[in-house]
Amino acid sequence: MADPIMQEIEEEIKKHKILIYGKGTKAMPMCGFTRETMQFFDRYGYPYEIIDVLPNPAKREALTKMTNWPTLPKVFINGRFYGDTDVLEPMEKKGELEPLLKEAFKNG
Amino acid sequence: MKCSLPLLPFNDEVMITAESLTDYIRRAIPDAKVSVTDRTGAMDHFNIRVVSDLFKGKNLLDRHRLIYNALDEPMKDGRIHAVEIKAETTDGS
Repeated sequence: MADPIMQEIEEEIKKHKILIYGKGTKAMPMCGFTRETMQFFDRYGYPYEIIDVLPNPAKREALTKMTNWPTLPKVFINGRFYGDTDVLEPMEKKGELEPLLKEAFKNG
Repeated sequence: MKCSLPLLPFNDEVMITAESLTDYIRRAIPDAKVSVTDRTGAMDHFNIRVVSDLFKGKNLLDRHRLIYNALDEPMKDGRIHAVEIKAETTDGS
């Protein structure tokens, strides 16, 4: 029987084209970097989702193992892991991010 | 990277210096040129820039993973709460 936490994560990643696992919620981000990641995506105008993992250490640990990435926030675009703004910003500078987002939202 | 999760009891009186941060990184990336700036004055939020040709052919995620693995200990014991990372090769790619 597949691990329920992993199933939950996989469903979330499929459901949200831009998904940020972080600290706090959209209305109340609890960490400057979660807020910074929101602001980063606000400039593109595409919808994104924040999932708070603070109340769920087991899920946070599962995400860390799955992505081999020890910190938060963790960003997924179109089902794939992209680290955080330390990775997205250089991608943006090289013009790699815009096409990725267009592709993710191409069929609505 | 952003906020790490200190798993061991927080050890606030021992602050990490730029030199020991650099040592940690050089143990994993021997030829690394490392520049460290303290983001908040609390010596636990850092901007770290690492330049090394070990990054050649590695994508950004894997470059950052290399650095996180090198900093695993001070991140786990809370001396590092958060870092922002830049990882480039010597020709700036």
